[in-house]
Amino acid sequence: MEREKLESLIIDYIDNRLNSTDRRRVEQELVDNAEAYRLYEELKEVIEIMDGASRLEPSEKLKYNFEAMLGEEVKASKKAKTIIFQPMFYRAAAAVALLVLGCGIGFWISEKNEQQQRLLAIENEMKATKLMMMSMLDNSTSASQRMQGVNVALNMNKADDEIVRALVKAMNEDPNSNVRLAALDALSNFSDDAKVRSVLIQSLETQKDPLVQIALIQLMVKMKEKAVIKDLQKMVNDTETMQVVKDEAYSGIMKLS
Amino acid sequence: MTDESIMEAVKDGNLQQATLLFERYHKRIFNFLAQMTRDRELAEDLTQNVFLRIIKYRQSYREGSRFMSWIYQVARNVFSDHYQSSKNKITGFIEVEKVSDYMADYNEAEDIDEKEKLLHQCMAKLTEEQRELLVLTRFQHMKYEEVAAIMDTTVANIKVKVHRSILKLKEYYFELERI
Repeated sequence: MEREKLESLIIDYIDNRLNSTDRRRVEQELVDNAEAYRLYEELKEVIEIMDGASRLEPSEKLKYNFEAMLGEEVKASKKAKTIIFQPMFYRAAAAVALLVLGCGIGFWISEKNEQQQRLLAIENEMKATKLMMMSMLDNSTSASQRMQGVNVALNMNKADDEIVRALVKAMNEDPNSNVRLAALDALSNFSDDAKVRSVLIQSLETQKDPLVQIALIQLMVKMKEKAVIKDLQKMVNDTETMQVVKDEAYSGIMKLS
Repeated sequence: MTDESIMEAVKDGNLQQATLLFERYHKRIFNFLAQMTRDRELAEDLTQNVFLRIIKYRQSYREGSRFMSWIYQVARNVFSDHYQSSKNKITGFIEVEKVSDYMADYNEAEDIDEKEKLLHQCMAKLTEEQRELLVLTRFQHMKYEEVAAIMDTTVANIKVKVHRSILKLKEYYFELERI
């Protein structure tokens, strides 16, 4: 029999793991083969020592330490139970807070966006209106178009430099007196603006249209603009000034001084 | 009460029940680790560690699985973790003292005969795997099936390896005996 196979069979034989056939085979081999018998004896000795080996006894310290450790773990698990709730609570609270904050920020952003969009729309509208107005004022062939342009300016709450310049130009230079008057009317809307005010005062000196002159004088009185008294005086003394304008200027001087 | 039902109770939070498992297993685990480390004090520390892991990682115990297999798997992990982390495999001079202390435990014990003392010396010469297989199957009388379950391998594989380990041990034993 092959040695390795024999060794394995002998170990199983000692462990009583063989079926009757194999057991008889091994027993026969042990009888026939002295070497196999010696192997059997040696293995049996080693196996018996191992199987019957004594055990070491752990010290009392092991049990003591185990109990101390268990006590700690029991305490920790009880603590964990109550603590577990708290982080959960905090986590839930944090989640809710985040949600609210998120919604708030989202709402705020969309609100801001909306506002910005609205502002943008207004700005665009204003730009379009301004463009329309400017092109109307520039229309040299149609006085009614220019008139409409001035009327657009009349409905404006605020005017930028460009609009003011266009209106002043219309007031001083437009060939149609109705347009000139309407331009003055539009400018008077913005008379709170220091620039507009000074432009109006200047215009009083240069204005030749009596209708506009009268309207200007009335506006100055309304504005209580005392700085124009000198100019009014000049108009009164000017021989070229029409009598109705002179009268108006005179009444303006009276009212302002 | 079976080991498994006790472990289930521990898993459910009844930690005090772990005392029963300690009573049933601590000597076996200690002896396993003592023979593996050949350092009595270290074996006690590692045994303590095994039970600490059993309690701490109780949720990882799978319902229906054999408790004995599980605790030995934990013990094997504790053992290998110890040597991996400290990297002090029993090769250096430092360990020699500990090993001789350990051997002294056997030597001082009067009820242990000379042959058994000799055998313990031979055990030290085996590889870690061979020693582990003999400790489990012979010293701790586990069935091949049980060891196969612990080591996650086949019964046939365990049997072949155990037989080789026995033959190796026999070789060392009769070599020493002749001196």
